[in-house]
Amino acid sequence: MIITRKAMGRRTLLRGMGTTLALPLLDAMISSTTAAEAAAKARMRLQVIYTPNGMMMQNFTPALAGEGYAMTPILKPLEPFRGKFMVISGLAHKQAEALGDGGGDHGRSCGSYLTGVHVRKTEGADITSGPSMDQIVARQFGEQTQIPSLELGLDPPSLVGSCDTGYSCAYTNTLSWSTASTPLPVTVNPREVFERIFGDGDTLDPKVRIAQLRRQASILDSVAEDAKRLSGSMGADDQKKIEEYMQSIRDIERRIQKMEQGGSEAIALPAYARPAGIPDSFVDYSHMMIDLQILAYQADMTRVGTFMVGREVSGRSYPEIGVPDAHHPLSHHGNDPEKVAKLTKINTLHMEQVAYYLKRMSETKDGHATLLDHTMVLAGASLADSNRHDHTNLPVIVAGGLVKGNRHLVAADNTPMTNLMLSMMDRLGVQQDRLGDSTGRLAGLNA
Amino acid sequence: MGGKLWFASQGHTKKGWSNIMAHITKRSGLAVAVVAAAGLAGFALLGNATADTLVPVTTSAAIAATPPVSGSAMPTADRKHLLQQYCSGCHNDKRMVAGWSVMPLDPANIGPHDATWEKILRRLSLGEMPPKGMPRPPKEQITDFTNWLATSLDGMAAANPNPGRATLRRMNRTEYGNAVRDLLGLDLDVSKDLPVDDTGYGFDNIADVLTVSPTLMDRYINVAGKISRLATGQTSRTLVTTDYKISKDLFDNAFGVPSYNERASDDLPVDSRGGGSFKFYVPHDATYTIQLFLNAGTATESEIDANNRYEVKVPLKAGLRTIGASFPKRMTLDQVLIPRTTKGPRTGIPPTVEQLALDVQVDGVRVQQIAVPSVANGPNVAQAFYQRDVMQISVVGPYDVKGPGNTLSRRKIFICRPSAPLSESACATKILAALARRAYRRPVSPLDVGRLMKTYNTGRAGADFDHGIEAALEELLVSSNFLFLRESDPKGSAPGSVHRISDVELASRLSFFLWSSIPDEQLLAVAEHGQLGKPAVLKKQVARMLADSKANALTQNFAGQWLYLRRLEYQKPDRRGFPDFDQRLRAAMLTETQMFFGGVVRENRSALDFLNANYTYVNQRLAEHYGIAGVYGTAFRKVELDPALHRGGLLGQGAILTVTSYNNRTSVVLRGKWILENMLAAAPPPPPPNIPSLNDAKNGKLLTIREQMEMHRNNPVCASCHNKMDPLGFSLENYDAVGAWRVGYAGQLVDASAVLPDGTQFEGPKGLQGILLARKDQFVEAFTERLMTYGLARGLEAYDMPAVRAVRYAAAKDDYRMNTIIMGIVQSVPFAMRRTP
Repeated sequence: MIITRKAMGRRTLLRGMGTTLALPLLDAMISSTTAAEAAAKARMRLQVIYTPNGMMMQNFTPALAGEGYAMTPILKPLEPFRGKFMVISGLAHKQAEALGDGGGDHGRSCGSYLTGVHVRKTEGADITSGPSMDQIVARQFGEQTQIPSLELGLDPPSLVGSCDTGYSCAYTNTLSWSTASTPLPVTVNPREVFERIFGDGDTLDPKVRIAQLRRQASILDSVAEDAKRLSGSMGADDQKKIEEYMQSIRDIERRIQKMEQGGSEAIALPAYARPAGIPDSFVDYSHMMIDLQILAYQADMTRVGTFMVGREVSGRSYPEIGVPDAHHPLSHHGNDPEKVAKLTKINTLHMEQVAYYLKRMSETKDGHATLLDHTMVLAGASLADSNRHDHTNLPVIVAGGLVKGNRHLVAADNTPMTNLMLSMMDRLGVQQDRLGDSTGRLAGLNA
Repeated sequence: MGGKLWFASQGHTKKGWSNIMAHITKRSGLAVAVVAAAGLAGFALLGNATADTLVPVTTSAAIAATPPVSGSAMPTADRKHLLQQYCSGCHNDKRMVAGWSVMPLDPANIGPHDATWEKILRRLSLGEMPPKGMPRPPKEQITDFTNWLATSLDGMAAANPNPGRATLRRMNRTEYGNAVRDLLGLDLDVSKDLPVDDTGYGFDNIADVLTVSPTLMDRYINVAGKISRLATGQTSRTLVTTDYKISKDLFDNAFGVPSYNERASDDLPVDSRGGGSFKFYVPHDATYTIQLFLNAGTATESEIDANNRYEVKVPLKAGLRTIGASFPKRMTLDQVLIPRTTKGPRTGIPPTVEQLALDVQVDGVRVQQIAVPSVANGPNVAQAFYQRDVMQISVVGPYDVKGPGNTLSRRKIFICRPSAPLSESACATKILAALARRAYRRPVSPLDVGRLMKTYNTGRAGADFDHGIEAALEELLVSSNFLFLRESDPKGSAPGSVHRISDVELASRLSFFLWSSIPDEQLLAVAEHGQLGKPAVLKKQVARMLADSKANALTQNFAGQWLYLRRLEYQKPDRRGFPDFDQRLRAAMLTETQMFFGGVVRENRSALDFLNANYTYVNQRLAEHYGIAGVYGTAFRKVELDPALHRGGLLGQGAILTVTSYNNRTSVVLRGKWILENMLAAAPPPPPPNIPSLNDAKNGKLLTIREQMEMHRNNPVCASCHNKMDPLGFSLENYDAVGAWRVGYAGQLVDASAVLPDGTQFEGPKGLQGILLARKDQFVEAFTERLMTYGLARGLEAYDMPAVRAVRYAAAKDDYRMNTIIMGIVQSVPFAMRRTP
């Protein structure tokens, strides 16, 4: 692919290139952790991990409820963390069903996943979902950090064509919605993630960096003022667009202020090479993105993250584990044993990524405990059996120090997934009465 | 019954549409009135250049104004009757199939339900309705009805031009990158530093979908900083390593295939092999180290280690440079060298080691030659006498910085130099006013420049003149004036009223459409002088723009998305099933279709070439894939196609056939759906919930895909769409999942015969070509719809369809040539006009 672009294009290609800098961590960029011990306790995180195209439920759900259940093939990679996570059955996302809108179950899945909202069927003009759970948490947790939340993923946003019949790609590209009409883009390029966390690395001197940030702040001030002046003569729709622009500026300005306030004490972070581009191997790629997210938590740059292992309708194939078939068509397996076996392999590989998250979190110190102890992890999907486009009895895993592990909790059939999310937010100390189609709280997270 | 009888008694239908048109045109009084009305709304600007377009529009307006005006048209009452007789069985208030009913429709007053009428027109034109098995009126009657309907809808649109809704549009990342290139002469792809944009209606430039998030703003401010430092030559002098990894055919477990005995890039010597090259932006006039990492062994192609690193130190001038490295080719084309391999830990190094010459090039000129041994040792293997390959090129620097250098960017930015401290402010004002005018794409006000000067002063105070400009440039690049394509409405214009956009706004719409970038100096100047609205000037500018290399943006961005070419990069055909597929073939496929599309545009060829061109562009690799003899080397050339090769038009091209396949097999559904959506604008409705899955066995017998699909279509719910998609896909089954021709697979002969829902039988790609050519009006309208969606940066609505048809009418008179289609879009109501919100 690189050769191609060179033959046709006139432009320098950044893909596949990268700059390596040994990374002396910028003291000023990392907020003060002198009060680390006390702060770590109060510092909670939320991490959501989403896997696409449903799950082979018969190879996911443990046979027995309660403690000490036998591991299933797909859950196997999580075995080392048995005491740190629970499996929940019976939850549903009714709002992802058609409800009169016809096909497009994949298209609705991600828009509903963290919102509990039945998204509006549209190709573009008036996309509507709801504020998502991670963003509600980020509104509160984000006050404390430079970046309110990180949205990461492994599939580039759909490049061409439609994503699912009648549904804008905005619905499948992300899980995170800061408002009902503002989806937050997922970053898929490790280098972009790195620069988002640590700046572009051109200047390594913290003093210069601070000066640069001050200049950015004053420039942003100026352009915001200008935009405000110009928006006076605009129609309502255009004003909304400009308002988005100004809101984003305020967000960056707040971040810069945070950075300036940050103390000068660094916490020890591992040296990390600046990523060049997207690694060829799926597992290398996934691990690199997870490492970056962990790095961001470690430096307390953010406390909220979502990670999309893939987009709905993803056609990624996995020849390295003996699955040369495209994922999505495979997920309509028709109970063909060979297809079921292959799909189970993909599901298991995806679960290994969840396991890698837990592993990295449990290895990373946070105060006197570990990152995992201070994180609420939700992993799962908005489809159960993708073959039937089923949004009930979803695959759900909740992990971390805020829940009681080693259990298989069975909720009443069709309990809204949003009930669980409200309970998770309770545990995180985020006040929220309702979320989308919630009907109450899911009991039993901690007992 | 009445309708039928009435038609049987008419002799006009056979005369054809042009006779009917001529007949109507004579009723000139009405037509003049309509032209006058349209002129008020801004049509006058379209002038002579669109006379062709306007004729059918105005005459049809006459029809709409006084139905039933035409002697050939059936009375209104009969049209209503026709709908009731043939359509109301399903489309009634109770059943509401496809969401509409004939009950509220009134042929005498089509205005209130124009969207439904457009839907009826489309399905009737495609011959899809009434469905097979249901009673149908005679063909002539349908034709007469669709002619009347199209004319009426067109007339209504001409009388009340509706440009639709134009939302404030943000540049997408491609446009941003191109704008930076054109504004600052910084020819490096900064778009990759911005997040991928969301798509809507199949394109990533749709205004409604392009939002601004904090993530994006964070990138904007950082990228703006990087760009302004690079462009003004103020990048820090920190040592940085930039790596370029050469793409290789690496598969599972890092085991690769040996290198190819051919030229790796157009930037390398013709008789070279095993190399690579990349564009590197040199930030300062200074010394840099170029490092070459060679492969450690053919079995471990992906290994990049310091033992196999060679380096040279060279002075480089600031600016964009091409850094390359390659080996001179010493063997004939088909000669293969068998390496001698010794397994075991670092043993078996032969006593005499042959040396290979590794050439290092900067901008195509050899700067040094290094001797490297034709042997390498990995931890587990040693090989001798094999062709070595460059795996990665790194540039490390800068050392001994001499200065910012005389780069194109600096020449473009610093159009004056202050001779004394006192003249700095005047020079800065001059520089920033010039930059802002181009970046904001309009004349600038003292307020615009004053704002930038404030930032300049802050930057200047902390350092020097250049840093002041750098700071102001950073502000300019995140300003809403740059990032958004703002359009304003005439002062005091009433909400809902319609007006022509200003020439300056038109210049931006044009350049973003054809170049995906900002207007150049000439276009902007013509617009500022109020000349661009003149049809002759506009036509000249469009022709000039299409001839410019920047029009390659249409290929990259429009065709890249229309034809799904952007997906090719992510397609990973199964190595076991398609061992022939490699990086070179992938690259060649993409180049073929890009050159083909670009050629049709640049040479002003007919859009029908997309369906049935008898030529294409190939190099040796692709020619071998297609079975074309006599093509040698990596360079592409135009070849005439022998019909026996089964190629010709887009549907015979490897790129299209590959992106509409899965990695391990073809899909008749994907291909059929792709053709319906992109070539006929007849996207199938979404699949219903709870789709039954395919069964690949019945009574213990394995079924072919064709048999499985037939079973699937036995289910009437599935059949309604698959009857349309599958036949189109089946006719292409002779092409495998990477577009190679096959007569059979999995032990069976390919059956490429197919039957359309209306019973038409056809077979293979040639048959499909015939089917599509018979629907060339639909194809050209579908193509126009895609191109117009892209050009307007919004989804099309029912009220835009008359504009689409007008383009098609005009194009039909000019053999569907691209310039006419593009001019038609540029002069259409939605492109040239705007509604005050």
